[in-house]
Amino acid sequence: MSTAGPPAYAEFAVQSNFSFLRAASRPEELVITARLYKYKAMGLADRNTVAGVVRAWSKAKVEGLDFHPGCRLVFSNSGPDVLAYPRDRAGWGRLCRMLTVANERGEKGAPDLRQDDFFEWADGMSLAVLPDLSQPEDALLAFLRSARQRFGDAVWLGHAPLYHGDDRWRLEQAAALSRASQLPLMAVNDVLYHDAERRSLLDVVTAIRLNRPIAEVGYELSVNAERHMKPVAEMARLFRRHPQAIAETIRFAQTLKFSLGELTHFYPDETTKDPQAELERLTWEGARKRYPGGLPEKVRQSIVTELELIAQLGYAPYFLTVHDIVRYAREERGILCQGRGSAANSTVCFCLHITEVDPAIHQLLFERFMSVERHEPPDIDVDFEHERRDEVMAYIYEKYSGSHTALAAAVTSYRGRSALREVAKAFGLSQDAQAALSGSIWGWSNDVGEDEARAGGLDTADKVTAHIVRHANELLEFPRHLTQHVGGFIITQDRLDEFVPIIRTAMEERRMVEWDKDDLDAVGLLKVDILALGMLSCLRRCFDLLEQHYGHHWPRRLELTDLHRDQQKAVYDMLCRADSIGVFQVESRAQMSMLPRLKPKEFYDLVIEVAIVRPGPIQGDMVHPYLRRREGKEPEEYPREELRRILGRTKGVPLFQEQVMQIAIEIGGFSASEADQLRRSMATFRRTGRVAMYKERMVRAMVKKGYPEEFALRCFKQIEGFGEYGFPESHAASFALLVYASAWFKAFYPDVFCAAILNSQPMGFYGPGQLVRDAREHGIEVRTVDVNLSQWDATLEESPFDPARIAPKHREMKDVIRSSHAVRLGLRQVKGLAEADMLRLIEQRGSGYTSVRDLWLRTNLSPSVIERLAEADAFRSMGLDRRAALWAARALDRKQAAEGLPLFDRPEVRLPDREPKTKLPVMPLSEHVIRDYRAQSFSLKAHPLAFLRAELAREDIVPNGELDKVRNGRRITVAGVVLIRQRPGSAKGVIFMTIEDETGTANIIVWPKVFETFRPIVLGARLVRVTGKLQSASGVIHVVADRIEDISWRLEKLSEAGQQVDFRSPVDETKRPVVEDRRSRHPSVAMPKGRNFH
Amino acid sequence: MSTLFANDRPGQQPAGRRILALWFPYLPVERILRTRLGRGWRTGEVPERAPLVVSRHEDNRRVIACLDERAEALGLKRGLGIADARAMHPQIEIVEAEPEADRRLLAALADWCDRYTPLVAICGEDGLFLDITGCAHLFGGEEAMLKDVVARLAGQGFRALAALASTPGMAWAGARFLDGARIPAGGEREALSALPLAALRLDAETCARLESVGLRTVGMVMAAPRAPLARRFGAQLLLRLDQALGNVEEAISPRLPVPTLGVERHLIEPVSATDDIERLVLSLAETLKGDLERRGEGVRALELALFRVDGFVFRLKLGLSRPLRDPPAIQRLFREKLAVSQIEADFGFEMIRLSALATAPFEDEQTALTGRNENVEEDLAQFADRVRARLGQGALVQPRLVASHLPERAVSFMPFRAGNAAVRLREAPVPLIERPIRLLARPEPVEVAAAEIPEGPPASFRWRRVLYRVARAEGPERIAPEWWRDRKDAPTRDYFRVEDEEGRRYWLFRQGLYGTTPDLPRWYLHGLFA
Repeated sequence: MSTAGPPAYAEFAVQSNFSFLRAASRPEELVITARLYKYKAMGLADRNTVAGVVRAWSKAKVEGLDFHPGCRLVFSNSGPDVLAYPRDRAGWGRLCRMLTVANERGEKGAPDLRQDDFFEWADGMSLAVLPDLSQPEDALLAFLRSARQRFGDAVWLGHAPLYHGDDRWRLEQAAALSRASQLPLMAVNDVLYHDAERRSLLDVVTAIRLNRPIAEVGYELSVNAERHMKPVAEMARLFRRHPQAIAETIRFAQTLKFSLGELTHFYPDETTKDPQAELERLTWEGARKRYPGGLPEKVRQSIVTELELIAQLGYAPYFLTVHDIVRYAREERGILCQGRGSAANSTVCFCLHITEVDPAIHQLLFERFMSVERHEPPDIDVDFEHERRDEVMAYIYEKYSGSHTALAAAVTSYRGRSALREVAKAFGLSQDAQAALSGSIWGWSNDVGEDEARAGGLDTADKVTAHIVRHANELLEFPRHLTQHVGGFIITQDRLDEFVPIIRTAMEERRMVEWDKDDLDAVGLLKVDILALGMLSCLRRCFDLLEQHYGHHWPRRLELTDLHRDQQKAVYDMLCRADSIGVFQVESRAQMSMLPRLKPKEFYDLVIEVAIVRPGPIQGDMVHPYLRRREGKEPEEYPREELRRILGRTKGVPLFQEQVMQIAIEIGGFSASEADQLRRSMATFRRTGRVAMYKERMVRAMVKKGYPEEFALRCFKQIEGFGEYGFPESHAASFALLVYASAWFKAFYPDVFCAAILNSQPMGFYGPGQLVRDAREHGIEVRTVDVNLSQWDATLEESPFDPARIAPKHREMKDVIRSSHAVRLGLRQVKGLAEADMLRLIEQRGSGYTSVRDLWLRTNLSPSVIERLAEADAFRSMGLDRRAALWAARALDRKQAAEGLPLFDRPEVRLPDREPKTKLPVMPLSEHVIRDYRAQSFSLKAHPLAFLRAELAREDIVPNGELDKVRNGRRITVAGVVLIRQRPGSAKGVIFMTIEDETGTANIIVWPKVFETFRPIVLGARLVRVTGKLQSASGVIHVVADRIEDISWRLEKLSEAGQQVDFRSPVDETKRPVVEDRRSRHPSVAMPKGRNFH
Repeated sequence: MSTLFANDRPGQQPAGRRILALWFPYLPVERILRTRLGRGWRTGEVPERAPLVVSRHEDNRRVIACLDERAEALGLKRGLGIADARAMHPQIEIVEAEPEADRRLLAALADWCDRYTPLVAICGEDGLFLDITGCAHLFGGEEAMLKDVVARLAGQGFRALAALASTPGMAWAGARFLDGARIPAGGEREALSALPLAALRLDAETCARLESVGLRTVGMVMAAPRAPLARRFGAQLLLRLDQALGNVEEAISPRLPVPTLGVERHLIEPVSATDDIERLVLSLAETLKGDLERRGEGVRALELALFRVDGFVFRLKLGLSRPLRDPPAIQRLFREKLAVSQIEADFGFEMIRLSALATAPFEDEQTALTGRNENVEEDLAQFADRVRARLGQGALVQPRLVASHLPERAVSFMPFRAGNAAVRLREAPVPLIERPIRLLARPEPVEVAAAEIPEGPPASFRWRRVLYRVARAEGPERIAPEWWRDRKDAPTRDYFRVEDEEGRRYWLFRQGLYGTTPDLPRWYLHGLFA
């Protein structure tokens, strides 16, 4: 026996979970395993896609493994699978073109690759044919010979053992084919998972793919667990009769000279010959506009520096592209837009009107945006009005054409909820059990444990439950499919489909590439993020309404920049009182409890406010030190003077990404690019696990410089938190501008703000009910939806402002509010109405409809639509309440329409009403309220709890509006409709619930333990009664729940039915089943479910 | 569902008509609990048990179809999702609904009510109508009769709500909303006026529409002008109202199906011997045959009713694999049935009736000249009918292929049905891998002295004390356990096709892979090739 170790081996038939539901390991796991087994090289060849290769390549770089990107070509029109590995850059380009052709021909997610494509495009690649030996020999041989003829010695014959009992015969058969076709025989193992343990997960994903329970998948399940990566010695043993096949793997690897690192990006030249000169011209021109009073020296200096750097890196065309997109949106379409993110660190971007953060006022860190060392492209993200982003996207397609631009992909992967649901389905659980299970998972949370299973109604001792939980956990973060990124455009000078395959999206006119944002970053492809932001739509509407109704206050149409300049104390005072419902970013529960503590007094405080209520600072324990120092309870301390410069503006506490990076650079001894890599590695540290290395280095460097280790660790913890959730200061500043702008409108023109935000729904944190309530509490009259008075959108109607209507808690706004209009709700507020129908109604309205029948005949709307309007109580202007309108609407029918047709031409002729009068009982107010809720989720007439107040008072339930009179620490009971449940990622499973009664809202804190006890109630109840301890700090009041009851049933009493006599037999009061009431009719169902935020 | 048909002429009400309506709101749970605890479960001692809920599927979710009083006491309601219910009350027991069994039970209850009146109609899934016109005095008057029915049903383990009225509609409403009431003729208007709309047997949609305009009691509907109501809510509303009030007659349809064909014989001298009954069956079957031939039909279902002198009726039913009219065959089948049925003749039977409950076209076949039927499938079907008449429906099974990699699971057995044997085999996808002609019911251990490591065949093996030397072998075919149903540590098998020196071929497997367990893997023989 020879003492030499096993021969060298490389594996090329490898599929990862990017072969969507056909393999069961991540690319990274495969790379690590290949490294562990000391493979000489490894390729990744997923089914007709290269979606996973960048991840594998990045991992292989770290592991030091020779990695080759490839693709397994699977033909739709028969023929054996072929492994295709590009030998050079040109080969890669052709592979991408081939896949693009197949993608274009097929459906989304199902490329249609034909043999012809292969013969047309496969030059410049090393190819391994994987024949299915159960197929007729003649056909196989014919294919092999034609491949040989076409591509010569670039073709191999790949063979893998199957363990079906006839492997010896199969291997000899393959060897014979190899001789007959003159193609060298190459060993592969046709890997579907890195470890034998994953066989069961493969079966699970197979069941998911086939949409059948595992027990019915039958022969499609794996018969054994042999499709895992094997040690080289084992591969050598399996091919011991043909050792040459093992050696061929190395020869195959040696032909592959292409690496993803070779992809370099050329940005399209804009129309001009000298992009840099054009950029400079535009920048200086913009600078003059930005600073009409003269350019500050500091700004001038930054522009010069930035322009130099841009010239050096050749990014001028990129800036020109973004500038052109923004110019188009703003000037040609009048779309509101604003850059966000790190680009706001750039003075050039400010001058080009891409971003709005003024470098004269703010300290910008240009390195965060761009650096020479970092060979990564800058990333400019621009927000547009969310309803009009499509116009911008259409412009980009038109300008650059489909072969030069496409969207980035976003990998939709399995999260706790979806993983649990799909796996439960694969195990044959009924749909409602699946729903219950996945419903027990909170949002995006990734905990899939026994608690969740139990809450979903599963027996945790059961074997099936154990299987479900285990496999759902394994499935977490597996890609499900690719979808388009929200707005990341890649634009290239050369053909984009030679960089990366382009695929169809769910939308016919859009295309995307196969790589996501991180992949594109890793290979250095430039992208522009065209994002959608609801608040911009809302603000544009605010400006429109202001111009339309308050032109006398403002001689010219205002713009965002005008508001930025109009810094008003009243706006800050309002925010200090946490009067921020509807205001961008600072309207969440956590933000609202921070506002009175942080007490923003100037713009920079808003920047901090936006950034501080984030998981990063919270997990890094930065919030309390900052607040203490701000309140002067704790001195600002700087372990070393150099920190004062970095952290001075945040009182010595690092709050922003830029600050942390600066610490890493100036104290940790990192280079700028290393610091940025550190930041990025945080975001992906689950995948790469490089964090520990950085941590040690940074802490050691800081301690060496004389910093306390505790401080160093805290700094690092801060970075860790930032990884996924932190804000760069520039981004916070961009957002803070919108915070101020929206707060400005809310403070001075609550009528305008209310109408604009209602018309921009859905957006933000609150539903229309809360927004309307808030406006009314600020003294704004809100008028009902009416078929004769409403437009589709909410509108403003003249109405003198009466400060007496302002709720006491907002009385300080008395002299601030400048409104002189009432809000008329739009027809859009009524659920289930089509915009087209309502536009017809408005168009035909003329001087108004006189009766339900008149409306019907003139609009020709279907009676069901009219019933819906009647249900929404929208006929009051013609003297009909809901009930009368319904009675009239129900009388409409087709037969009568026919006889009524002649009247259509003469709507003024009224149909004589010969019907005997029917006396209908008056609908009680409480029933009206319930039905208002059913039709539009809120009621202007009253709050449902007002009708229950007497009863609640008997139970010592404290109205929410009186919580401020309760002593801190007392145990009390409150009740209300559940508005919002929120479980912030930073709060360790704590749930914040907001409940509402007729007097106001109460904030409930539910600790995880209490949540476990009352889970179905917390998640499902519409009306709750909560008992707990009152906590009050800095004017922020919470009730820490220890007991939560579902009292939704009490809403029954509000409906007429609930007030009826009890018909149940007197002898048997409790046990008699009442005739089944359909659930959907229960009044509690009319109540909104409450919104969940995570 | 009973067939209800109306007659539009008012005032055609038979004078003095009285209808007793019964409602069994707990029928499905009672069916289950009676089986478990005996029919005295409501009256006797109550053992500790979990609240019981019966579930059914509705729009892709499982909801509560019925629940017992204990579950009701927890606040659960019909229509609530099972998942929600279980999340709220993990202790409840949930049983899948069996509507067919409930229907059978309700039919049996209807049969049982024969004791009060022959005119019993089934109403929906959980109600009965008894037309007791002129019967009440036999039971001591209406009041006593009502009590008697409810008490006797309670003794049988059923909770029945009952009411008596002059119209089915009124009685129905009474049973559901005025338990125990007796509404005199003409008292309908008053009795109904306070009841909710549901008392009119309206669909939920109509009820909701009426309620939304504030009409929530029958009284309100009665007070409103009729034309506007009809225009908005359809004719059904007024029809139901008129039926309940007796303005429109409503017939109830008798429960027992009117047989398609029936022949009966009244006996002057009651018979009790089985032989006599069989003879009578043959003679009735011959009469029936004539009727069937005239119609070109054969029977698919038969019922033999034996009317005992004391009024008790035994009913024996037969379902047939294919249409039949041959009298001796019918006689044979009932012979099997009678042999296993517990017929207590006591004083003997005074009437016997043979009914064809279902018929189907019968294709006449040319009988072979020998006079014997040579149609094999026909014989098979008749054979199957006979065996099952005697041994029960589950006595005959047939094999079926199952898509499983594990050889012993690749086949299962299902109840035999003539004609489908061949089809089943073709449907199942079969893997291309060779399987032995004969698979042992249970793998038998063999001794293997030496085998190639790690995954080679044995050189020889000893099975049932005989030593076989392996001349040739092929393998391994590796079959791993079905992880989702087998034990976690179930071993993988490596199968080998081996041939001994005399050319006999065996299917052996090694259980477990070398090196995965501390013990050496064991070998088994699982099948024999030809």
